[in-house]
Amino acid sequence: MRPILLQGHTRSLTQIKYNREGDLLFSVSKDKIVNVWYSHNGERLGSYSGHQGAVWTVDVNSTSTMAITGSADNTAMLWNVQTGKCLKTWEFKTAVKRVEFNEDDDMALCVTEERMGYPGTVTVISINPDLEAAQSDEPVATIVNDGGPKAVVAGWTYLNKFIICGHVDGSITQWDWKANEKLNTIKPHSESLTDIQFSTDRSYFITSSKDKSAKIFDTITLDELKKYETDTPLNSASITPKFQEFVIVGGGQDAMNVTTTSARAGKFECRFWHKILEEECGRVRGHFGPINTIAVHPDGKGFSSGGEDGYVRVHTFDSDYFKFKSDH
Amino acid sequence: MPADTLAPTKPSWADEVEEEEDAFQTQVYTDENGLKVIVEYRDNDDGKKVKVTRKIKTKLVTEYVNKAVAERKKWAKFGEEKGNKPGPDLSTTTIGENIPLKLSSSYGKTPTAEQQTDEQETKMRQALKSKNIMCRICKGEHFTSKCPYKDTLQPLDEIAASLEGVKNEGSSRPESPEPSGGSGMGPNKYIAPHLRKGATAVGESPREKRDDSATLRVTNLSEDVTENDIYELFRRFGQISRVYLARDRETGVCKGFAFVSFGMKEEAERAQQAVNGLGYDSLILRVEFARSS
Repeated sequence: MRPILLQGHTRSLTQIKYNREGDLLFSVSKDKIVNVWYSHNGERLGSYSGHQGAVWTVDVNSTSTMAITGSADNTAMLWNVQTGKCLKTWEFKTAVKRVEFNEDDDMALCVTEERMGYPGTVTVISINPDLEAAQSDEPVATIVNDGGPKAVVAGWTYLNKFIICGHVDGSITQWDWKANEKLNTIKPHSESLTDIQFSTDRSYFITSSKDKSAKIFDTITLDELKKYETDTPLNSASITPKFQEFVIVGGGQDAMNVTTTSARAGKFECRFWHKILEEECGRVRGHFGPINTIAVHPDGKGFSSGGEDGYVRVHTFDSDYFKFKSDH
Repeated sequence: MPADTLAPTKPSWADEVEEEEDAFQTQVYTDENGLKVIVEYRDNDDGKKVKVTRKIKTKLVTEYVNKAVAERKKWAKFGEEKGNKPGPDLSTTTIGENIPLKLSSSYGKTPTAEQQTDEQETKMRQALKSKNIMCRICKGEHFTSKCPYKDTLQPLDEIAASLEGVKNEGSSRPESPEPSGGSGMGPNKYIAPHLRKGATAVGESPREKRDDSATLRVTNLSEDVTENDIYELFRRFGQISRVYLARDRETGVCKGFAFVSFGMKEEAERAQQAVNGLGYDSLILRVEFARSS
């Protein structure tokens, strides 16, 4: 595998995301820049400028016409993917840590930070899919986990039925967002969640946590289906959609501790775990800092990882990958 | 009048030249195998005419992509890339080193090399627990080489010896042994950590040491050369994994040399032979294998 290295950022990556067909790859980092790349050759299509603070999160709608980003400058911005024009800026009280379009592209959720006396929220905003139309300022719903730990990640279940939130204490909650009602709470992780990614049909999701484990849950019952325990704090976990039943997890020691140990001890590798058998199958090295974010190409033929080192590495699997069969 | 008699058989000199030109004109045709053939005549360095026949096989590869994807490939660049020509820019996009992904269902169960060394270390430590070890520097229970003060202190015996030497000053030069790593300037001289005796390579680069066997050094480049030029020049010899062009820190112009890394050594050899001595931008390039420092 010869990865393509993308050097469009000067600070650590916070999230990368493929669009629905996988031909575009969006990357956001703490250096305020949002980049979009062609995933097949690593060519940069453009950048979206406008944010005043670190950009934490990005998502693109299913038709790849609009992208939304959330930033530490307390705003979420909606962009025209093709031209790089900012279509709308939503102001929040605190930083926006996670955004995600729903399946119909007519709403997006924004997870806001708990800071300066303001509670952490999950705010649902409505999006008009028409590029020319004016966007509404009023949130559709605001979920506040009263007195509970703040949410750090969140996502929609299938048919936009529920919102699943991952919290800083390792708990996961399921919300009926229309009724603003908490339906279920579990506490599978002992430390903060770092990422949540859904399967293609959104019937199950994988979480990664600082407690060194990644777990798969059913979206409706929140039953724990699978568990992957590693030896390093995890920052991201992703599910391969086709060809192989794998999950890819990545992490590494905290950025603040990196200089105290050698690269070997840092464990900055993407680890491939068999999704069903819960055993590790392989690793891909390359980053020289912790891996912050992983995304798998929607056609299952490659994946990308973004690290604290500021690089995005775009991998395309070799033919061996498709032939692999587990011994069991 | 011999010219007059010959005139009917031999065409005039003007016709002759014309005919000659016709004969040496470039021909383009498609042969029976469907190959496009281009026949050209040109003068070589010795002033002789040479015939160059090129056969070109064209193969149409049709790739089916999603309509939306095809549409998006035609999008104009924007933002920081605005106005740039299509194709990856080497300043933001590079091809990394080959990284193997070895899949096996027993990964992590068989101990890897590093785990084995770690195990060996712990075993050694356990074996040494029973033995009496004393550090020469701090008299602690560890090897001298593992002493936490080895970079800052010198062995106690040597300090004692050098103190003795100071006492005897005036009578004769102290015969005390030189402190470890000292260059004969007495114990107080600062020695950089990496020069100290017994100091291991501290601050080892976190990146894997680059394999420079397929790297070429290109010198005598003109000031206007860019990374893309180098890339274009060497691309036909094989997969280029890295192009480094030395630039002036202030002005950003080329300093006259560059490094080109190939995926394979054979490619690099071919490129070295072909490009070495080539005229480029009115300068003669010099290409040699990079010596790793």
